[in-house]
Amino acid sequence: MNSVEDIISQVSSLPLLPDTALKLMNVMNDPQSTIDNIVDSVKYDQAITGEVLRICNSAYFGVSRKVTSLNDAMLCLGTVKVLQLVMAVHTNSMLSREQVGYGLEPGVLWKHSVAVALASSLAAQRLKIPDANLAFTAGLLHDIGKVILNEHVAKEFAEIVRRVTDDHISFGEAESQVLGYSHEEVGGMIAEKWRLPEPIIRCIRYHHDPGSLDPPDTLVDAVYLANCVCLLLGVGLGEDGLFYRADQSLMERHQLHEHDLELIGAQMMTDLQRVAELFADGTSASLAHEPAHR
Amino acid sequence: MSKEVVRAMDQVVDIADLQVSAAPGVVLVTYSLGSCIGVSIWDPEVRVGGMLHYMLPDSSLSPAKAETNPAMFADTGIPNLFRTAFKLGAVKKRMIVKIAGGSQLLDDKGTFNIGKRNYIMLRKIFWKNGVLIDAEDVGGSVSRTMRLDVRSGLVTLRNRGREVEL
Repeated sequence: MNSVEDIISQVSSLPLLPDTALKLMNVMNDPQSTIDNIVDSVKYDQAITGEVLRICNSAYFGVSRKVTSLNDAMLCLGTVKVLQLVMAVHTNSMLSREQVGYGLEPGVLWKHSVAVALASSLAAQRLKIPDANLAFTAGLLHDIGKVILNEHVAKEFAEIVRRVTDDHISFGEAESQVLGYSHEEVGGMIAEKWRLPEPIIRCIRYHHDPGSLDPPDTLVDAVYLANCVCLLLGVGLGEDGLFYRADQSLMERHQLHEHDLELIGAQMMTDLQRVAELFADGTSASLAHEPAHR
Repeated sequence: MSKEVVRAMDQVVDIADLQVSAAPGVVLVTYSLGSCIGVSIWDPEVRVGGMLHYMLPDSSLSPAKAETNPAMFADTGIPNLFRTAFKLGAVKKRMIVKIAGGSQLLDDKGTFNIGKRNYIMLRKIFWKNGVLIDAEDVGGSVSRTMRLDVRSGLVTLRNRGREVEL
């Protein structure tokens, strides 16, 4: 089987996103949703309910009284924050494995994904996107294609790197040439299979190439910027390094300066450190440190 | 491929972090330097080593963040690194200084030039303070891992699975 057929069959056999996550994303996406709708979408999932309560009662939120129910949690902490954390917990199992092809140790892709999610929210605010909630989820899932493409990249790594070096193309372009698909294309296929909201599919598919969308999509721009900032600052940087294209026109379109990127980066890092504390004592995962065996 | 083996005495310097040590056998290590810059200093006389991994050039971006975490910025992190090493007996004029990082995206127009700005700020600070750079590996688009062996002063750089002396 060649890599193209292999990748397609792997996408189709990938398990669906857990029901709860999908429901959550849809209620988050709907401005009409009430707290009751949101609670309804998660309350039958014991694992998530437990995780939400654990997170809400952690030092991170500093709530003085004990949060004992989902309703309580939503009222106390704001629905968005809770939902974002739930999504982060949810993607952990998918994204935490080692990605040998990209030189990412266990946990590092997830850390990168959470960092990009946080930075996407910040970028969405800076770009004045009215519904910034989607940006977090889109950021969190932007690299999902790497989970499948990883083993193919590992096999063809030398050839991909040769093309990146000799032909001065981006890592994604080299993936596409050598394997038939780039990780963002595979990510787009997965997102479609999962029936994610259309704006999120676009963010995943075009997170390295926002300039190919006509008209431009501001949410994609936000995720693109967030990813650039996190890569530049080395959060979850793999063997693909910074071999991705910078998009000048996007900066001009939004009248952004270096300063804006640096502010997003500094705030993202502060937020990431706080979120890391949140997961440090948990059973779910640790964002606190680089893996010990690196 | 890029598998990095556990090493007994590795002491990790995180992003926006600095560590100084005089303990023989300790190896200071910082991972995934992109546009950030890793600064390694070592005094051969007292065998004190230090490493900084700073993110951004200028603390005026956010004085509050610089206050909480000086290692985030070049202009607060670099003086801090040297001062911390002085406390352990290191002396500026003996210091061997090596730097790495400052990578960029593929960018003809220099739009996202945090790496370059990080490097320029470092040169400025070093020039003002009479600090010379003994070795450097900056720029390009690779991700780098930097190690400093506190006993021997050996600095190595690793990218794409190859480790070389700096």
